[in-house]
Amino acid sequence: MVGLQKYKADYQQLIAELPGQSLNWLQQLRADAYAAFSETGFPSLREEEWRYTNVSAIEKKLFSPLVSADNSTLDAAWLDTYALKDAIRIVIVNGRFCKEHSSLEGLPAAVTVSSMADALEQKPQLVEQYLAQAVGHDKHSFVAFNTAWFSDGLLVHVPAQLVLEQPIQLLHVVTQADYLATSRNIVVVEEMAQAEVIETFVGESNAYLTASVTEVFVEENAELILYKMQSESDKAYHFGGTYVKQARHSRFKHHNFAFGSLLARNDVHTDLDVASECDLNGLYLGIKRQHIDNHTRINHLQPHAISRELYKGVLNQRARGVFQGLVFVAEDAQKTDSTMNNRNLLLSADAEADAKPQLEIYADDVKCAHGVTVGQLEDKSIFYLKSRGLDEETARNVLTFAFANEMVEKVALKDLHAMVLDQLLQRFPQEHVDKEWL
Amino acid sequence: MSTSAQEIENLIAQDYKQGFVTEIEVETFPPGLDEEVIAKLSKIKNEPDFMLEYRLKAFRHWQTMKEPNWAQLNIEPIDYQSISYYSAPKKKGDGPQSLDEVDPELLETYKKLGIPLDEQERLAGVAVDAVFDSVSVATTFKGKLKDAGVIFCPISEALQEHPELVKQYLGTVVPETDNFFAALNAAVFTDGSFVYIPKGVRCPMELSTYFRINAANTGQFERTLIIADADSHVSYLEGCTAPMRDENQLHAAVVELVLMDNAEIKYSTVQNWYPGDENGVGGIYNFVTKRAECRGHNSKVSWTQVETGSAITWKYPSCVLLGDNSIGEFYSVALTNNYQQADTGTKMIHIGKNTRSTIISKGISAGKAQNTYRGLVKVGKGAENARNYTQCDSLLVGDKCGAHTFPYIEVKQPSAQVEHEATTSKISEDQLFFCQQRGLSAEDAVSMIVNGFCKEVFKELPMEFAVEAQALLGISLEGSVG
Repeated sequence: MVGLQKYKADYQQLIAELPGQSLNWLQQLRADAYAAFSETGFPSLREEEWRYTNVSAIEKKLFSPLVSADNSTLDAAWLDTYALKDAIRIVIVNGRFCKEHSSLEGLPAAVTVSSMADALEQKPQLVEQYLAQAVGHDKHSFVAFNTAWFSDGLLVHVPAQLVLEQPIQLLHVVTQADYLATSRNIVVVEEMAQAEVIETFVGESNAYLTASVTEVFVEENAELILYKMQSESDKAYHFGGTYVKQARHSRFKHHNFAFGSLLARNDVHTDLDVASECDLNGLYLGIKRQHIDNHTRINHLQPHAISRELYKGVLNQRARGVFQGLVFVAEDAQKTDSTMNNRNLLLSADAEADAKPQLEIYADDVKCAHGVTVGQLEDKSIFYLKSRGLDEETARNVLTFAFANEMVEKVALKDLHAMVLDQLLQRFPQEHVDKEWL
Repeated sequence: MSTSAQEIENLIAQDYKQGFVTEIEVETFPPGLDEEVIAKLSKIKNEPDFMLEYRLKAFRHWQTMKEPNWAQLNIEPIDYQSISYYSAPKKKGDGPQSLDEVDPELLETYKKLGIPLDEQERLAGVAVDAVFDSVSVATTFKGKLKDAGVIFCPISEALQEHPELVKQYLGTVVPETDNFFAALNAAVFTDGSFVYIPKGVRCPMELSTYFRINAANTGQFERTLIIADADSHVSYLEGCTAPMRDENQLHAAVVELVLMDNAEIKYSTVQNWYPGDENGVGGIYNFVTKRAECRGHNSKVSWTQVETGSAITWKYPSCVLLGDNSIGEFYSVALTNNYQQADTGTKMIHIGKNTRSTIISKGISAGKAQNTYRGLVKVGKGAENARNYTQCDSLLVGDKCGAHTFPYIEVKQPSAQVEHEATTSKISEDQLFFCQQRGLSAEDAVSMIVNGFCKEVFKELPMEFAVEAQALLGISLEGSVG
């Protein structure tokens, strides 16, 4: 509880520095969220949703928020390797918007892309309309924490019937040790519009905490492809929540790559309206002592919606991977069509995989299936490759790579594909990967 | 189909045919539970001292515990002080020495239920232990079993005659601190069956216990302990019924199975406690802790259950696979109709090397019922080459019911292979149309499709039970179509 007191004390100092001071509704929202967080603190293992993930280290580590912007230590060349060419880019450094590395070149006038702090000054009504509408701070205490603490973030608003050619990248960077970076992002795609948004989380090799919440609104007939590449430092703690509201006939695709962090928790929740579609893809790669927790919830609230989900995990050394997925089908959601799959590859005796795929169904005319596997590479496949002249190690590499690459291949953006592939190979189970076969 | 229209009418009209009450003189404790009641109960049973200590320890621990609320169940609060913890048919003298001395009313009751206690008339051999409310009233074929060296008797009798065996094993699989209902059961259990199969013995006949709740306002707490010593084999069946009453009655049982090297136990249950009426009034609250421990190498345990009764079912027969190469199996059909709720499944704990487990679970939900599968597959670090296959399918009949699946999979061993599959669907219009086009009524068609859906589980049941289970499914589904 000492840790919790420290976080609370820090908050009292921080509060005057947070954006949106002049907005009463926001002050109220922060106060409510702060009260909710103070009451519960960080989640404990006793909560069913957190039974496999122990976050007590966050409380012990005492991460502190940055009161004012400090980009002095930022290595521009290093940052550049994570910037996607041709993308509209918002860079958040240590929880604050960094204008000099951001780029809004080529952005159509009708589209809003700005930092959350700027948006709260220039378009407060737009933020008010959406903030905390896809997720309430009662969801769990990290969301409450983020709502009270957030210092900046990204706002994307794509007006109706506009197809945005350029992708939008949020590049979230933490350079300082023991920092706490809380960002709150909103992505709105109006009727019949289309957009692609990429969230990239990176950091220099320190221990720090990222607590990010993204709210997504996909309106009628609209389409959004959202990518998330989490390559935080291997000492970092990461909480990322994506909460989606989908209107009728909307389409939402999510590609979630979890590579970094010592402890990462990722939530993806989506609410489906009539005949909407969602496609959730995930790849988590755990090495060393990494703990990666993926949590998804698909709410079929109305009839005729379709959901597809595939999460794959590769766990090596002492890593632990967690998958908790829930498909909820409400009483009226007839003709729901849903599949959920989780596949885990355990490569070492000390690795662990925990899976909890759940179905909660209150309608009868539905097709719902889920499957989980935990296992190792098939002897038969290895034998086949060896019979073709590959040595054992290469054969294993080829098969492990193929297993993970299925998810990477789904990335349609060329630059991003190359970046994700590079991140995958950097953390590849065997250190010396023979890239000839790539 | 040669059944006449009249017969069909009769078939549909019958609801819960075991719902009658037997008028019999009983001795019942007043409602309430404290240490005195437990002491009195232990005294009536003339138990050894260690039992009273065991009960009191469990009771004291129970008082510190809270009812579990994690299950997908909506339970009216239970007042544990309004339940009577002992009810027994009044005994003449020292209790029946042979069937002739058993109260004819009792024999009549079991005859009505179709349970043959009269061993002379039996052709096929199934030894039956009949438990009526709190006590065992008759055990058949005792002599024949004794010749084989098998001990099959009420647990209260085992406490008199084989206290050392009971003391050695009781509570070692399900400790008295295990969970709320197991603790309550350890404190107040009144009877149940005790089975010991000695080394190298293949039990010459199937053993069966038949549980009957009769008295009102009583709870039934039975305890079953089965020990299969090395190289032994036994098949055990369990059946249960209760009268129709408007108030809910509590049933909290504990079953412990111990398996040594190369032993095999096949445990089959047809659970048909009174499920309550179509408005959800009355019915049994069924909270059962069942666990098997494969202590020896190459042992095998198989749970088969058909759950059609009870207002609430909370039951997770588990297998602890300690010994190398041991096998755990779980086959389940859970059917809920009207306002019934079931939260059931299994736990497979893989500890030994090359352990294997199979889970086949079929949930059928109709009316306004909620049916949940909840299971855990855990592979420990040392469980090399462990293998699990899980399949749980749900069938929904009607648009007001729910079917849920909550599997937990925890794997710490890379050579383990764990697979889980689940599907949820309804009976397709095509299937129904095909059956009806061949002249079956809608209800018969549904019954047939449901039976097909459950076939994988039914084929695991002993012959007599399989027939009973199929009939039960038909009755339980009545009125859920159209």
